[in-house]
Amino acid sequence: MALSRRILPVLLRRVNGGGWVAPALSFSAPARALSTATAAAEPPPPASDEEESVVVKGVRISGRPLYMDMQATTPVDPRVLDAMLPFYLHRYGNPHSRTHLYGWESDAAVEEARARIAALVGADPREIFFTSGATECNNIAVKGVARFYRDRRRHVITTQTEHKCVLDSCRYLQQEGFDVTYLPVRSDGLVDLAQLEEAIRPDTALVSVMAVNNEIGVIQPLEEIGRICKEKGVPFHTDAAQALGKVPIDVNRMGIGLMSLSAHKIYGPKGVGALYLRRRPRIRVEPQMSGGGQERGIRSGTVPTPLVVGFGAACEIAAKEMDYDHRRAAALQQRLLDGIRAQVDEVVINGSMEHRYPGNLNLSFAYVEGESLLMGLKEVAVSSGSACTSASLEPSYVLRALGVEEDMAHTSIRFGIGRFTTEEEVDRAIELTVHQVKKLRDMSPLYEMAKAGIDLKSIEWSQH
Amino acid sequence: MAAAAAAAPARSEVLSLFRSFLRTARQFSDYNIREYTRRRAADAFRENRALADEPAAAAAFAEGKKQLEVAKRQAVVYSLYAPKSKSIMEMKLQ
Repeated sequence: MALSRRILPVLLRRVNGGGWVAPALSFSAPARALSTATAAAEPPPPASDEEESVVVKGVRISGRPLYMDMQATTPVDPRVLDAMLPFYLHRYGNPHSRTHLYGWESDAAVEEARARIAALVGADPREIFFTSGATECNNIAVKGVARFYRDRRRHVITTQTEHKCVLDSCRYLQQEGFDVTYLPVRSDGLVDLAQLEEAIRPDTALVSVMAVNNEIGVIQPLEEIGRICKEKGVPFHTDAAQALGKVPIDVNRMGIGLMSLSAHKIYGPKGVGALYLRRRPRIRVEPQMSGGGQERGIRSGTVPTPLVVGFGAACEIAAKEMDYDHRRAAALQQRLLDGIRAQVDEVVINGSMEHRYPGNLNLSFAYVEGESLLMGLKEVAVSSGSACTSASLEPSYVLRALGVEEDMAHTSIRFGIGRFTTEEEVDRAIELTVHQVKKLRDMSPLYEMAKAGIDLKSIEWSQH
Repeated sequence: MAAAAAAAPARSEVLSLFRSFLRTARQFSDYNIREYTRRRAADAFRENRALADEPAAAAAFAEGKKQLEVAKRQAVVYSLYAPKSKSIMEMKLQ
């Protein structure tokens, strides 16, 4: 019966009044209910308006899920969209055209955006270079610095919890003959400063430590790391994609030499980012994009004015709203945590609670399988592991670096809270998560055994 | 635009601006933006109620009027592209 319900819409078309009618194609049989005559496959008709349901990947969801995946990307703020639209409508000039009004106004808009981004991080506008995103910035920073100084410097230091693009760039450098030290992190996610200081060699070209981790939300001690790097004379690069506009950043106070910034993590458009390159002392990089020498030769290619204007607007808004958003995110995170902990036990927070950006909460639920939990949470848009690694079934390398056990790493869920998250959404997320966790634990024999007091590690599973 | 420093807005003007914000917020088709506009406007007006000196109050009022224009435009844009299915939060409890 369920099968015919799925086949029917493909073969026949629903009409007002509730009947079924065959589409006007060449059929041998006349229109008959339950006709199984094969037909050219038609897309299923859109669901009727009262249902308002969405069918995606074979799953029927009754409405758009509530969005709690702010670390993957954020919605564009309406104020940002308002700033961008004119540049898609009538101000469409190329900012590098020097000979007419379209070029001049476009260039003025780009420079204004540059100044806004610089103001948010305490930099000079001449130190900001626009790119296509934080991944490109990380590539330029890691590969560009290493290659520029390749005659005298052959060593790069980074951490095990960095974003995949930094780790991949470092692996690429290893193939070119560089030595790379991947610093381990403590179980709370923070890097050990003594280990960092020991690892720095006279021929170290770069230290790269991300500001706020995208998976666990941990904030690294940037000021201390910057101080150590300054003493040793090594450039300090930080991937601040998740930190920009959320925690205060000051490139001078933190001794930052290079910084990667991304627009779509702070309610800006996707496809644009910025690289901060210190002028005093000047950090040199080898450009990764050859071309017309735009952006002072650091990154060739037409600067996308609408995206850059959106980025600038997003930074301006973030500067004004940082305190308000931070307070709200902290309150909502506490509400989420308290709500979940009040109803289920054996919930572990991955990463330090003190050094944390409150909008990122990564929880592991013991005795529950992660994929089944996610499948049951189809009305909440959350993620397990980062978006970059969720294609594979491997547990997240970040959690592994924290020393989280395999079974707990598999069952981790990351809740992202942002500017537009409401209390009701948090309450609904708690309700749905608790319901799903309880359901899965009821079915879990491991949970039963654990409740009975059996130590799971002592069990000898029979070998066949 | 008047170059002279504007006087502090009258109480009725401020209330009228606030009501306009709430009205505009209701017109947003997106649940999250609607709630945010309402909440942020309420919090901003509450915070600025304490502003004692005139230039600051006048500046806040001017800023508020500008933001209202942005909100009105965006309410139109969002409604032009509103998706057919609404957010889960707006559906009847199941």
